[in-house]
Parts: sequence; C-alpha cells; structure tokens
Amino acid sequence: MSDLKDSGRRQFLSFAGHAGLASVAASAIGVNLGLVEIASGQSSGKRGVTPFSFAIITDSHLFSPENHRFDRSLIDAVNQVNALGRQPDFVVYTGDIAQNGREDQLVKGQKILSKLKMPVKYIPGEHDWYLDLGTVWKGLFGKETWSFDHKGVHFIGLNSILVKDFWTGTGMTPVQRMGVMEMLESPIAGPWGVGAEQLDFLRRDVAKLPPDTAVVIFTHSPLWDYYPRWNFQTSDAPQIRDILAKFDHVTALHGHVHQTVYNKIGNLSSAGSLSTSWPWPYPPVQLAYPGSQMNQSDPANTKDGMGTQSITVAADGDLLSYQPFADSLTPFLKNGINV
Amino acid sequence: MNNTHVKVTRIPAPVVALAASAAILGLAFLVSRPSWARPPFTDSQLADQQQQLLAEVDKGRDLWHGSKPSMSSTGLACGNCHPDAAASNPQTFPKYVTELDRVAPLRDMINWCIEHPQGGTQLDVNSEDMVALEAYAFYLNRGAKIEPGLAVPTGPYPVKSGVGFPKKPSGIGVDQ
Repeated sequence: MSDLKDSGRRQFLSFAGHAGLASVAASAIGVNLGLVEIASGQSSGKRGVTPFSFAIITDSHLFSPENHRFDRSLIDAVNQVNALGRQPDFVVYTGDIAQNGREDQLVKGQKILSKLKMPVKYIPGEHDWYLDLGTVWKGLFGKETWSFDHKGVHFIGLNSILVKDFWTGTGMTPVQRMGVMEMLESPIAGPWGVGAEQLDFLRRDVAKLPPDTAVVIFTHSPLWDYYPRWNFQTSDAPQIRDILAKFDHVTALHGHVHQTVYNKIGNLSSAGSLSTSWPWPYPPVQLAYPGSQMNQSDPANTKDGMGTQSITVAADGDLLSYQPFADSLTPFLKNGINV
Repeated sequence: MNNTHVKVTRIPAPVVALAASAAILGLAFLVSRPSWARPPFTDSQLADQQQQLLAEVDKGRDLWHGSKPSMSSTGLACGNCHPDAAASNPQTFPKYVTELDRVAPLRDMINWCIEHPQGGTQLDVNSEDMVALEAYAFYLNRGAKIEPGLAVPTGPYPVKSGVGFPKKPSGIGVDQ
C-alpha cells in the first residue's frame, strides 16, 4: 500500500461523508471526537486513493544559541502534530530548518523533529543549503530529490532553490555565499529553480502514471511567480507545470513564504505553509483567492502567524487545514480549503 | 469764476518714473512672496540635499537588516517581518498602538519592535540611527496616502524590480 519507510505507523481508518469532515475539522484543532469510523482496507473513488492525512512543518530557521525562541516554536509544532486527533501517516518538512546553514542548527532541527511519532520526509530550503552546498543536509536527511507512493497517491519532492555557481569565480567564502542567497530578489545569483537534472527526473518519474493519478509535489519555493522580488518563485516552474500537465489535478505544496496562501493555475493547485519562525507580510499582488490571506500578525504575540498544517487526502480531493498557534485564520480558511 | 487758475504742480519725470517702478516692484513682491523670502536652491544644492537623504536611507536600510548588533538578540531584524518596509505602514502614524497603550509616532513603534521581537536595546529616539530607520521606512512607502490612525492593514507599496534600494552585498544578516 505504501513504499514509505515507516516503523510503527498506526493502522489507518477511512472516513465517510460528514462524519469524515467533522473528524477532519476536529483534528484541525487537535481534538479527537471519538466518532465511530468505518474500517476499510479498500481503496475508494476513481483515483484509487485510500483516505489518510499527512502534516507539514516548515521554515523553522533555527539559530545557534540554546533555547532560542525558534527552538521552542519548533518543539511546539512537533507537539501539535503529535497531538492531532487524526494522526498523520507521515510529515513532510518543506525546507529551511537552519537559519545560516550551520551544522549545529541542522543537527538541532533533526533532533527536535525526531520526536515526531511518524516518519518525516525532507526537502531543502536555501538557508539549509548554501553554507556547504547541502553536504550536512544530505548527510542528515538523505536525498533532496525523491518520490514515493502511499495509499494511491504519488508524492514527489524536489530541491527548488538551485542556482548556477556564482561563488567559485568570485572567490567567495561559504559565509558570503550563504549571505548572498539570503538577499531579496537574488541580485547576484539570479532566480533559483530545480534545474535540468531534476526536470529529467520528474519527466521519467511521471512518464508511466495515468492522468487520473493523485499527485502531490513538494518544493521549498512556490511553483508560480507569486512575487519574484521576495524570491517567491521557481524559475523553471513553467517546465514543471508542463511535465505535470497531463494529470487531472496536481497539488503543489510549498514553504518559504511563511504565510497561508492558495492559488490555482490550470490543473495545479498551489498552497503555502505557515512557518514556525516568523510571519511574512503579504506582497503587493492581487491574489486569485484573497481569502487565503491570514489576518495580519500581532507583533505582541510571539506565536501569531505561525503553526503547522494537516492535509487530508480522500478520493474526491485534498483538504488543507492550517493549524496556527494563535487564532489568525479568516473564515475562508477556518474549515480547511480544498487544494 | 471762470478764469480761476488751479495751480498744477508738474511732477518731474524722474520722480514719476521712480514712483511707478516702486509701485510695480511692490506689486511684484506681493505676488511672488516666496522668492522674496529667500533665494531658491540651485539645482546642485537640491541634488546635494537629495544625496544626503539617500545616504540616510542607505544607513537605514543597513540598520533595518541587522547591521547594528545591539538592536537584536534573537537574530530577527526589522527586515524579517518587514521586507522592503512592508507592513510597517509609516503613513498611518501617529496612532494608538496597543503595545504601548497610547498614541505614538513611528519611532516609538520601531523601538518597541527592537525591544520585543528582536530582544535588543532600544535606540535614542533623537539619534541619527532612528532618523535613518525612519528615512528608510518612509522612503520605501513614498507616495502612500497619509492617514494617521488608520487601523486596517494596508498593502505594502510595490517595489519595482531591482529599484527598491539597490545595494552591494554586505553579508549583513549572516552571523559569523
């Protein structure tokens, strides 16, 4: 049923109709209503999907000092996910564990995330990568490019923050290189993307999949030109969308933006995630779904505008439930959005 | 009484001319008071003044992005939550600020942020650093409608690509 490596995942139950939705809402606030659930081992619906959920934690941007507020925030996120009434089958971490790409920061993040009760898949963000070009990250978290199948859904993870070498010729130190990659609009490195190799991987990976396959793709940066000025973009997103164009529907989930946001382009739905470090403001762009903006964060509340997210996958679609630490969801977001 | 002569004093021409010019000049002064108040700035003076402003904005940009270590102990700089001075809304100050429980100018809000999310030491409100920070925030929001007390969130003003505030890399924001 799944080739996701796992050591002790709970047996998963399927849901039906309103009972299912209520349960999803309940798990969104971490409460188990104890509804009677119909056990089912069969797949349902035309996509051959057996309902389940997974969670996303992202962008912890850990600093080096001990007991930093971002450490505490990430611990809260782990506890929040562990306490979900409906336990996710796995967690995906969509990048930027470390703030400066330092080994101690990445190791600290891995230690905190190891307290999750379920398996975790990782993709890198630019803050993880450019101090040592992913050496420590790959050692801790494995491949940056992957795919697996789970209960009828095809999951793909890519490294979307790659740029051409700008550091060798200029003789930059690793710290300078990391600093350059933190700059808005990336004036020196240029816009980042997944690169030719990963596009080839993607092409081969989805070549044999039928069009009605449920596909979920994870990248650190959004797969649309949300706001290139703040690096809210992936330069080869059009090529990615091209390769995925054959599918009836693709769900693209990303980090990097530190905010709730939803958009749909063609067959690809795109949703951003809450960070556990700090909230970003919304850029000056007209959103197709302006209701997907959360309320402006209260600077006096150190937890506002941050949290985790849980996605329930079912035959008729995926429901994304944002789970902020403080109440900042708009009516549009409160009961989850179909992605 | 037909032959009464009224003595007409002929005013000499120069006097008439002088009186006329005085009248005209007086009228001119009344109409164009500013140029009468002080001489206008020359183009090069204006350029120099603008350069001084941009130098302050430049300093403010560095401070906004963490160039002064005493402004932060958490690693957060203004630029984390307020990239391109977004969501800082300088044009809505002075206004009642819940964090301070009073009507406050922008500089007080900046100091509050330095102390709280950033865990740093507040700046002297009359210091050049504070002027620089305000210069940056206002400059990046130039053209915004002034609305003291506006409580609804406004959008950040668009920064045209590459123009926002061009800056050579400085390594600011990376801890050594």
